[in-house]
Amino acid sequence: MEQQDDWRLTEALPHQLGRGDPFAAAVRATRMPMIVTDPAQDDNPIVFANAAFQRLTGYSREELIGRNCRILQGPKTSRESVNKVRAAVMAGDDVSVDLLNYRKDGSTFWNALYISPVRDEDGTIRYFFASQMDITSRIDAHSRIARQKDEVEQEVRRRTADLEAALEAQTLLLHEVDHRVKNNMTMIGSILRLQLREMNPEGAGQLRATMQRIDALGTVHRRLYQSEDVTRFDIGAFAATLASDFAQASPGVRILTDLRRAEVSVGHASALGLVVNELLTLMFQRQKDLPAPGEVRVSAHGTPAATVLMLEDRGSRSLLDSDSTGPLSRSLIQRLTAQANATVTFDPIEGGQRVTLTIGREE
Amino acid sequence: MTRATPPLDVLIVEDEPLIAMDIQFMIEDAGHTVLNTAASLREVTALPEAEVPDVAFVDIQLAEGSSGLDVNTLIQERWPNTIIVFVTANPKKIPEDFAGAHGVIAKPFSSHGFTAALQYLQEGVSEPPPVSPQPGSFVASPRFAETWKG
Repeated sequence: MEQQDDWRLTEALPHQLGRGDPFAAAVRATRMPMIVTDPAQDDNPIVFANAAFQRLTGYSREELIGRNCRILQGPKTSRESVNKVRAAVMAGDDVSVDLLNYRKDGSTFWNALYISPVRDEDGTIRYFFASQMDITSRIDAHSRIARQKDEVEQEVRRRTADLEAALEAQTLLLHEVDHRVKNNMTMIGSILRLQLREMNPEGAGQLRATMQRIDALGTVHRRLYQSEDVTRFDIGAFAATLASDFAQASPGVRILTDLRRAEVSVGHASALGLVVNELLTLMFQRQKDLPAPGEVRVSAHGTPAATVLMLEDRGSRSLLDSDSTGPLSRSLIQRLTAQANATVTFDPIEGGQRVTLTIGREE
Repeated sequence: MTRATPPLDVLIVEDEPLIAMDIQFMIEDAGHTVLNTAASLREVTALPEAEVPDVAFVDIQLAEGSSGLDVNTLIQERWPNTIIVFVTANPKKIPEDFAGAHGVIAKPFSSHGFTAALQYLQEGVSEPPPVSPQPGSFVASPRFAETWKG
C-alpha cells in the first residue's frame, strides 16, 4: 500500500497540518478513518485521507485524492441521508448521519459519518473535515432486534386474534345455550299452566306448587343472565321480585323491602332460590287466612361471614316453624339449605314472625 | 288520541305454539280478547289491516327466520297506536330506545309475573299513569314511561 507516502500529502497541505506537527501525526496515525476535502476546488474533492480511511474503504490514497466522497455511495445508500449531508455542506453546518457505504470491492458497511467545516480567521470555509466509524455490527444488532420484535409482535397479534375468535365463539355459544334454556323453561311453565286448566281443584293445588317452583327456578335463571356479572347472585333482589310476584295473587298484601348488597355464590343460586320460594309460599298462605291483608317485609344484607335474608310478616297470630309445611316442602328446605351451607330460623316478632335465612360465605 | 278501554284487543306474535296458547289463556283470564296469533313476520303481514290491536306481544326470535324487531317496525307502520311489548328470552337484543316499542317482558316469565305485567300495562294504556307498582317482570321503554309523567 502506498499510504505510507501520505507524509508527502500532509506536507503539501498548508496551514497547521504540516509535517512534524504532532496534531497532523495524530490524524495520520489514529484508528479513526478521517478525510479532508477542499470546497475551493471543483466538486469539493478529497485532499487528504488517513491510513484508517484507506483500510476501511479499500481505496488507496491515489484513488481517493481528487475524487468526491460520493464514490462511497451505492444503490442502497439512502438518498435522504445523502441529501442531508449535501444540504449541511452547502449551508456550512456540522452534520452527523448513519450511511450505508460501499467499499472498493463492492461490500457494504454502515458508516457513522460526521462532517464539520474548518474555517480560517475570516470565517471562510477552507476545508471540510470528515470522520467515519464502521458501525455495521451495531446496525446489524439493531435490525436483528427490530426483526425479532416484529416477529414476536406478529405472533402476539396472531395469537390474540385466535383467542378473540375463540372467546367470541364461546360467548355466542353461551348466549345460544342461555337462550335455549330460557325458552325451554318458558315452555315447561306454559305446559304446566295449560295442564292446570284441565285439572280438578284437589290436584290443581299440588301442580300449582310445582309450577311455582319451576317459576322460581326460571326467575333465578332470568336474573342471573340479566345481570352483568354471571358469577354472583343477589338473593335479596331475587326475594323481592318473587314476593312481588306472589303479591299479585294475594291482592292487598303490602310488600316492603330493605335491600343491601346480599350476594351468594351462583352455584347455590338455584337451591337458595327454591328455598326462598318455599318460605314465601308459607308466608303468603298465612296472609290468605287473615281477615284483612297484612304486609310482608323483605330485607337482606351481607356481612363478612354471611349473607342474611330476612322475611317478616305481620298480621298473623299463628307461628310458623319448619313443621308448618308439607313434607316435600320441609325436605326441600332442609336439604337445599344444607347444600348451600345455609340455616333457616323462625322467630316471633311483634305482631308477626321473622324467618331468617343465613348463608355462610364460601372460602 | 283516544285511549283503549278494557277489554283490550291483543295480538300475539310467538313461534312456540304452546307458549302462544299459554299467553292467550292468561290474557283471556284477565278479561281481554286475543284478536290474532302469528308465528312469523309473514303471518303478521297477512293479518287483516282492519283488525287493529290495542296491544301486541312480540317475541324476538320468530318462525321462518324472521325477527320480532321487523314485526315491531311493521306494526308501527300499519297500526301506529298499538302498544308493542316484546316477550323475549333475549332482552339484550332490544335496542336502548326499544326501536319505538313500549316495553319488554323477559322470558321465562312466571304466571304471577305475566299477570302483574298485564295489569300494569292495562293501567298504563287505559288510565295512565298506572296505579299498581311496576312489577319486576315488566320494563317500560323510556319513551312510554315518559308519557305517564306530569
